[in-house]
Amino acid sequence: METIQLDVLKISGAILLIATFGVIARRGFMDWLNAYRLQSVVLAVVTTIIGYVTGIWEIYIAAALTLVIKSLVIPKVLTHVTKSLEIESKTDANPYLSLRTSIIVSAFLVAMSYFLSQQIPFKSDPVVSVFLPVSMAQFFLGLFALVNRRTALSQVVGLLVIENGLFLFTLVLTHGVSLIIEVGIFADILVGIVISSILLFRMSRTFDSLDVDKLENLRDD
Amino acid sequence: MSNSLEIVIGVIQVLVLMALSPLMTGIMRKTKARTQKRMGASIFQPYYDMAKLMRKDEVVSDQSSWIFRCTPWVNFVAIGTAAFFIPVFLSHSPFGLVGDLLLIVGLFGLARFFTMLAGLDTSSTFGGIGSSREMMISTLLEPALFLAIFVVALTYGGTNLSTIIETASNSSLLPHPQLIFAAIAMFVIILGETGRLPFGNHATHLELTMVHEAMVLEYSGKSLALIEWSQSIKQIMLFALIANIFVPWGISSSISVSTLGFGLVTFIIKISAFAVFVAFLESSIAKWRLFRVPDLIAVAIASSLVGLVLYYL
Repeated sequence: METIQLDVLKISGAILLIATFGVIARRGFMDWLNAYRLQSVVLAVVTTIIGYVTGIWEIYIAAALTLVIKSLVIPKVLTHVTKSLEIESKTDANPYLSLRTSIIVSAFLVAMSYFLSQQIPFKSDPVVSVFLPVSMAQFFLGLFALVNRRTALSQVVGLLVIENGLFLFTLVLTHGVSLIIEVGIFADILVGIVISSILLFRMSRTFDSLDVDKLENLRDD
Repeated sequence: MSNSLEIVIGVIQVLVLMALSPLMTGIMRKTKARTQKRMGASIFQPYYDMAKLMRKDEVVSDQSSWIFRCTPWVNFVAIGTAAFFIPVFLSHSPFGLVGDLLLIVGLFGLARFFTMLAGLDTSSTFGGIGSSREMMISTLLEPALFLAIFVVALTYGGTNLSTIIETASNSSLLPHPQLIFAAIAMFVIILGETGRLPFGNHATHLELTMVHEAMVLEYSGKSLALIEWSQSIKQIMLFALIANIFVPWGISSSISVSTLGFGLVTFIIKISAFAVFVAFLESSIAKWRLFRVPDLIAVAIASSLVGLVLYYL
């Protein structure tokens, strides 16, 4: 491995981390969706770089699929579904932690994922040592976004970020699972998004709100 | 006698900073005007303004104390002293032995402290709100600034600016991904320190948007000219810092006329481009509610924290 390759890997990992932070540090559903779209584009670029470094051609196809599905199709589907919703339900007015607290918390989550990945002995492989902490950070940030937000719509975005982290995680550790599994996972996400958007639609029609706390109103006690 | 030559060049650097600083303010105002489809004043307008203010009489409230009268001078001297430590087009400043990045932050703090006192001194309500806002913003900005400085200093081996910039000009940005995070933090901090748009607005004198303007509202004539000049010197110094630390291309490391000239030209181009960029950014965003400002500073702190993590692991 040449040093220039290692440097490019490091820089692209850092840029991916910044793009992930973009999902945390925004307000409003459309902003998050745009941040997610940007993050997916960066993820596709990173995947291409990993494909170039490892020299496995299947990874290029995974990168192309990431670009098409995650940065074009999924945001399209979500914007299309949410077009009929009211504006109020799209803005997450009060997450459990305020924006500034959640930014600081996410910085500590990133630190934690770096410390955790220190415990995993894969130091010899530069791809793993650079991207494993980044993928774990993505996972944790997505999880944090998921639990921090009240409306179901924004929780979907958190779920998508987690999925991006998992994708990077498997890609880095296995250097590309076989293509058929990869395609299956992508189809899975797509169907998952469609189903969750149908659920969102029904939820907003039944409760006039996407706040998950209001789901408890169903209980009859 | 390369040593005395270096000192001469160091003094010239300070004079260049002081001379160019109103020009940067002018360029930013012009850019903002053009993005708003106005013609705007000439980019040399801040020089004319200052010359006019210098000729005018001063009005000082009889309720004010000596603090009010000496603040413009303290401001100017503190910021002017800090300017000696900033490498502009020669990478090693001869005065770097005396002070480093932390001293610059301290001198800025001194200037800001006296400005806040002067805002309170005349006991006008505007001065009071300006000082209280400035205190709130600066207490949050300073830890963020220190964290960002630590990232840079750890990477380049020392808080001395000459060391930092010499190492930076000899190495590439690629092996140091933590510098991207430090640059993001530093950019947010510079917007805050110079009172640019999400933090404050230079263009208006509305009570809602004033931070720095509110504190210096009582000044007139020569004192006002001095305060505005120091403010623009501070601004150009921060621009020079971010440009030379993160984009050190073209800075001269040896004393010869050709490299120094090239360094000066690239420096002017770099900071003008940066000023135009900041002005564009200012036109595209609105002033944030005062209590949302900590959100942005939290971004800077988090970004520097991640930079530190990336450095150590």
